[in-house]
Amino acid sequence: MVRVMVVDDHPMWRDAVERDLQAAGHEVVGVASNGREAMARFPAAAPQVVVLDLQLPDHSGVQVTSMMLEHDPAARVLILSASGEQDDVLDAVKAGATGYLVKSASSAELVSAVTRVADGDTVFTPGLAGLVLGEFRRIADGPADDPRDQLTERETEILKMVATGMSYKQIAARLVLSHRTVQNHVQNTLRKLQMNNRVQLTRWAIEHGLDDGG
Amino acid sequence: MVVTVNMVGLNVYRRDSFSHPELGLAVVSACVAWTGAAVWLYRSRARRTPALLVADLLIAVAAIAVTPWVKSEAFLATVPGFWVMGALLAWAIHWHWKGGLVAAVVLSATDLAPREVVDQGNYGNVFLVLVGGPVVGFLCESLQRMARERDAAERAAAAAEERTRLARAVHDGVLQVLAMVQRRGEAAGGEWAELGRLAGEQERGLRSLIRQQDTVATAPGGRVDLAGALEAMATAHPVRVELATPGGSVLVPERVATETVAAVRACLDNVAAHVGPDATAWVLAQAGGDSVTVSVRDDGPGITDGRLDEAEAEGRFGVASSIRGRVEELGGAATVDSGPWGTEWELTVPLA
Repeated sequence: MVRVMVVDDHPMWRDAVERDLQAAGHEVVGVASNGREAMARFPAAAPQVVVLDLQLPDHSGVQVTSMMLEHDPAARVLILSASGEQDDVLDAVKAGATGYLVKSASSAELVSAVTRVADGDTVFTPGLAGLVLGEFRRIADGPADDPRDQLTERETEILKMVATGMSYKQIAARLVLSHRTVQNHVQNTLRKLQMNNRVQLTRWAIEHGLDDGG
Repeated sequence: MVVTVNMVGLNVYRRDSFSHPELGLAVVSACVAWTGAAVWLYRSRARRTPALLVADLLIAVAAIAVTPWVKSEAFLATVPGFWVMGALLAWAIHWHWKGGLVAAVVLSATDLAPREVVDQGNYGNVFLVLVGGPVVGFLCESLQRMARERDAAERAAAAAEERTRLARAVHDGVLQVLAMVQRRGEAAGGEWAELGRLAGEQERGLRSLIRQQDTVATAPGGRVDLAGALEAMATAHPVRVELATPGGSVLVPERVATETVAAVRACLDNVAAHVGPDATAWVLAQAGGDSVTVSVRDDGPGITDGRLDEAEAEGRFGVASSIRGRVEELGGAATVDSGPWGTEWELTVPLA
């Protein structure tokens, strides 16, 4: 059983997600329809997983993600999005979300994603894998003294397979690796992405003299 | 406003003719009074009627015409002098080059008619008036047209932005409902599942439209967005396609985009032919500084080793020429890999 919080501004969706999760034996400990409500209820609800719609009326999906994880680093954020707006998705993942699902995913896919995210696993769609690959490519094409981490050849190879719709099982079979190893590689790509984001933020802060006070 | 500025300027010009014979004082005073009146009259758009313009020109003509009586018969400069320019410019601004020409002709004729001798100076003035009137009118017309065009462009841009914003709001709601129908339909089974599948198709189409809307159709330098072009083609293709892009637009020369999209379409046609209509294909576009790579994978049973080479050897160039040919023509390379996980084409095209 996983303690879940559902944040979505459409009541129809909130109810459907809640029903699906409860039917699968999970506990919905809180719901919210915008970023403000979500932040107010998050500490008391203390969910293990937050199922978060990125298109909130106050446009705060990305901030909500980083604020929640700052408050409780053990929490996991699973993004559920209808239109898959690319920049927001990438930003939310950089801010610490470990899963991404489009709303057309089936109930079974949603339930399984919540369980996997709660276990510390990452849930990627092919679209997100493409965005992450693009992000690392941009770093690779940038200046050589960039302190941000690059992907290893293996990680790039695996991410490419995720981006072309292959399951971890298929990837493991094709590369003759264990399922666990594939999982670790995918997790590493996300960890590097989030680490790079922090490096970038720190560098930005130093360049703009924000570290003077501290 | 232009008229006002001109009138103020003309008051300075008028001072030059002030030193001429005392008899002209009344005429000059009348001119000053009219200048003041004209400044006030021209200020409001509602008062800027043809009647005012005609009156302005008639007064200017009258001022010139009375010159022989207030000065000697053999006068050198007319009493109003350059002051008549006000009427000329007003006509040019209002009726453009035609107005400028008419006013110039009328003023010149009035100026020349009573003169006994037309010297070099008179000729020069008349010539300038005849040329200047229409030219000023023409410039005004161009300026006004440019201002109108700029306003229209600004309005169009604002309207497009608002449309995009509204579309986003509408799309979001529609996408939510379509995704919901798809989900519930699938769970209900039977006919509802079919309805759900249709909703899913529409949802994918709409999502891809929104993504295309976010990308630029044509960037400067004849470069086009490959991601948007792939999206458009994949949406229209009968095979169900999931597209992954690096985010943002992938700008490539137009020929590279056209040929690459055509090669990817050939890959998808191949999927439809060999795996069937229920196949799913994944297309991944990656862009580096010097090349783009597009991978196309299907979830079919794969092709046996050497079957492509066989087909090529037998002269059945269908797949080979439409995929390999196009890519090699661009200086790139196409490789194919197949296994129990499906078939994957990888097309790499250099960006020279």
